[in-house]
Amino acid sequence: MNARWPVVRTLFTYELRQTLRDRRTLFMSIVLPLLVMPIMLFGSRKVEQVRERKLEETTFSVAVTGSQAGPARAVLEGMRARLARQGSKPDHLRFELVTKDDPLKALNAGEVNLVIEAVSAAEARQRAEREEREARSKRSDRREEGADRAEADPVEDGAPVLVLVSREDQVRSQRAAGRMIEALRETRRLSRGDLLAGHGFPVAMDKVAVISETSLASAGQVAGLTLGRLLTLLLLLFILSGGSVVATDTLAGEKERGTLETLLTTAVARGEIVAAKFLLILSVAIAITVIQAVNLLLYVGFKIIPTSEGFSAAVTPPIAALVLLLFLPVAALCSGVLLLVSGRAKTYKEAQMLFFPVFLLGMVPAVAPFLPGLRLRSAIVAVPVANIAVAVKEVLTGIFDWPMLAVAFLVTAGAAAWALLLAARTLSTERLITASDADATQHFGGPTLLGRQVLTWFAVIWALVLVTSTHGAEGADIRLQVLLNLVLIFGGATALIIRHYRLDPREALALRAPHPAAWVATVLGAPAALLSGVGLFLAANHVVPVPTKLLESFGESLMPDTIPFWQMVIFLCVMPGVFEEMTFRGVLLHGLSRRFRPVAAALAVGAVFGLFHFSLFRLVPTGYLGVVLAAVTMLTGSIFPAMLWHAINNLLGLGAAKLNVSLADLPWTYYATSALVLALCFYILWRTRRPYPGLRTGTGRRPGQEGR
Amino acid sequence: MSQSTVAVSELVKVFYDEARGEVRAVDGISFECQPGEIFGLLGANGAGKTTTLRMLATILQPTAGTASIMGHEVCAEPEEVRRSLGFYSASTALYPRLSARETLEFFARINGYPENRLAARVASVIERFGIGEYVQARVEKLSQGMKQKVSIARTVMHDPPVLIFDEPTVGLDVLNAIDMQKVIGEFREEGKTIVFSTHIMSEAEKLCDRIAIVHRGRIHATGTLASLREATGCHYLEDIFVHYVRQAEAA
Repeated sequence: MNARWPVVRTLFTYELRQTLRDRRTLFMSIVLPLLVMPIMLFGSRKVEQVRERKLEETTFSVAVTGSQAGPARAVLEGMRARLARQGSKPDHLRFELVTKDDPLKALNAGEVNLVIEAVSAAEARQRAEREEREARSKRSDRREEGADRAEADPVEDGAPVLVLVSREDQVRSQRAAGRMIEALRETRRLSRGDLLAGHGFPVAMDKVAVISETSLASAGQVAGLTLGRLLTLLLLLFILSGGSVVATDTLAGEKERGTLETLLTTAVARGEIVAAKFLLILSVAIAITVIQAVNLLLYVGFKIIPTSEGFSAAVTPPIAALVLLLFLPVAALCSGVLLLVSGRAKTYKEAQMLFFPVFLLGMVPAVAPFLPGLRLRSAIVAVPVANIAVAVKEVLTGIFDWPMLAVAFLVTAGAAAWALLLAARTLSTERLITASDADATQHFGGPTLLGRQVLTWFAVIWALVLVTSTHGAEGADIRLQVLLNLVLIFGGATALIIRHYRLDPREALALRAPHPAAWVATVLGAPAALLSGVGLFLAANHVVPVPTKLLESFGESLMPDTIPFWQMVIFLCVMPGVFEEMTFRGVLLHGLSRRFRPVAAALAVGAVFGLFHFSLFRLVPTGYLGVVLAAVTMLTGSIFPAMLWHAINNLLGLGAAKLNVSLADLPWTYYATSALVLALCFYILWRTRRPYPGLRTGTGRRPGQEGR
Repeated sequence: MSQSTVAVSELVKVFYDEARGEVRAVDGISFECQPGEIFGLLGANGAGKTTTLRMLATILQPTAGTASIMGHEVCAEPEEVRRSLGFYSASTALYPRLSARETLEFFARINGYPENRLAARVASVIERFGIGEYVQARVEKLSQGMKQKVSIARTVMHDPPVLIFDEPTVGLDVLNAIDMQKVIGEFREEGKTIVFSTHIMSEAEKLCDRIAIVHRGRIHATGTLASLREATGCHYLEDIFVHYVRQAEAA
């Protein structure tokens, strides 16, 4: 872009003047966030206080079961009396012992908050040994007092062992277990003191040794960690919400009003228009950031927001300046992306629809600082925004890795420049700038229109799945979640898309028989792809450090121990194989294959598939699987091999978790062999390939795509 | 003709429509215009008039052929081309939150009008178009007629030698349409080259020095009204138009 800066300045000045005159934009981008923040802060604090008070006042119902239920009840009643005598915290005493025929069922139904299984020492030992052999679950639904392996109290014959069974996914149950453990420990401590005093021990138990805790981290570093984790997320929230209002108006709004066409007939170059609009959004973004920062500091200054004592130590003026500098490319990238989205939309309404998923997607990299142990000196430095988020956390905790800080800055700034170039290109895409023209494709529907709009559909579906996943019913059964996501959302969206674009289901979903050899390749290829994927990233680990969690994610699957294995196979292997394939290798691939050439379409399907798994670490393995499955579908011309491949892949992950086998710890020969097998499978698929309908194979550029 | 300010030769525009495939909106159009001339493109909706004018204004890029304004080729020197012309159409709107004066200053500046002569130019344009009464008002507050005057004024703010009017009277009431025709006539008197598109026969008959009959992306006849009458034997432009369209359909 050879921009003439006086022209850019003129454009920018007039744009800014118009923005400042638009009360709606000012209110939505600046005033509203200013009001929302204190309301949110006060609101959430108030809700938390009320919730905490209610929990403290709650009398939890506890069911006692097991062979030692009788003695255990006596122990618990004795405990209550002992604590009352001692003047212990009143909430320790707020539990009632109830009787239930099936206590575990009652716990699942929420009728009781806690179940105490009272067993003999021998039973506890047997249980411990059994669990030692069987324990595979990553989630611990049990807390044990007496026989807990982690607590490692010796089990004495004669004393009842109390096993506390709770549901960690239910707040009241979790709190009941915590309160009971605390009460039991307190009672044990008091009893020990009584015993020792009875035997003439001269000092009270709590005077025997005074424990003092100290941390090497300064108060500033501790406060910096908290602040550093949140800062990028908050910044993105403000920039994206405020900036999107301006961005929508400045390009999509101009198209709709017809002023863009007026501008395009003047002597101004398109690059100059984009530069001026970018500067406008960036100015608004920076203004929002500064206003919100001042707003935040005022609240802190007036003690409206409580902060730890290390806050001022964490944010010294040089550090604040460095953090602001690091945030510049983030603000630039956000502005570039917002401009790009606005440029891609032909109307105000379309831009608003596109902003919703972009908003959610934009937040994903900002959660990187919450990942434990993630350092800037890792592969994360290559991920725009996520790298700055981690860099800010490190800076605020006193870690200054200057070379990596520079790399992070350049990577995100580079991404911003790229977004800007893409935005400039939207002004040269004739289809996008002549908004007033009727688009014949809009009236015809069909796969060609799907190709143009399919990513928007998936962005909306993605946002919907994200919302249902994060706001799902507390403690909802995984089977219910699978049914909701796979059947209702994926199945429903697939059916809706097919109906909306008047597609032939057989074509859209590639419902046709593959070559018989494809089945052989599938059965061999699925495990080979899984293992070679792990091997690939193990090899990459030697070049760029790959987080261990990423490698583990290849075999990871959600496996609650309360659901029978056969049901897990149905819900986590068969159903994803069918529904996810219909959605991703069905309609998504059908649409994208009209728009992109095969390799690009496979990569795009993989990227979308990865993003739907909502985990930074699972993004790579699921993205890899998505690419492989798209390739399989395009080569076989059928969706059925991909369905089987997907089901086998998930089954292997489930099996590995069940047998506690780590796929990342196998001998290298396994990975090498699997890569060879995978290559052989793709050779078979290639030799026996069947046409996938509508695949783009030409290399020529379509006319009407370029302008100046 | 060495004096041509607008020269169009075998201009083609092919759109790629994903549903219909290739659509030849403009299919080999050629014409030339001289200073002090109003050249009219007469055709039904969808004939290719707007696409042709948009290519001249460099909003769209030609698929084939050449076009130049004041000797500047549209593909090679798009900014010079735009500096040499003023483009007005029913779809080119004004910024609602700028005042009429700010609008005129803005368009003069971005079209490279010298800053030291800007104030005088703004004053003379305001006087010429009689917009002094509401020059401080924001465009969003103006009536349709007032907006139209400001819009024409911004088109000529940088005093371009070539003016393109794409269906300028669409959506205007009779009085405003007559005003518009009068202003276009005045520009001709000032020696500007005017390329004008319309589907209204009476307008073409009244204003144009030469008329090109456009149908399905092609020019089927070009000439003065008298020469077209002579060639077809028809008196009314409507009949002349139908004559050429039927001839094209039959071919």
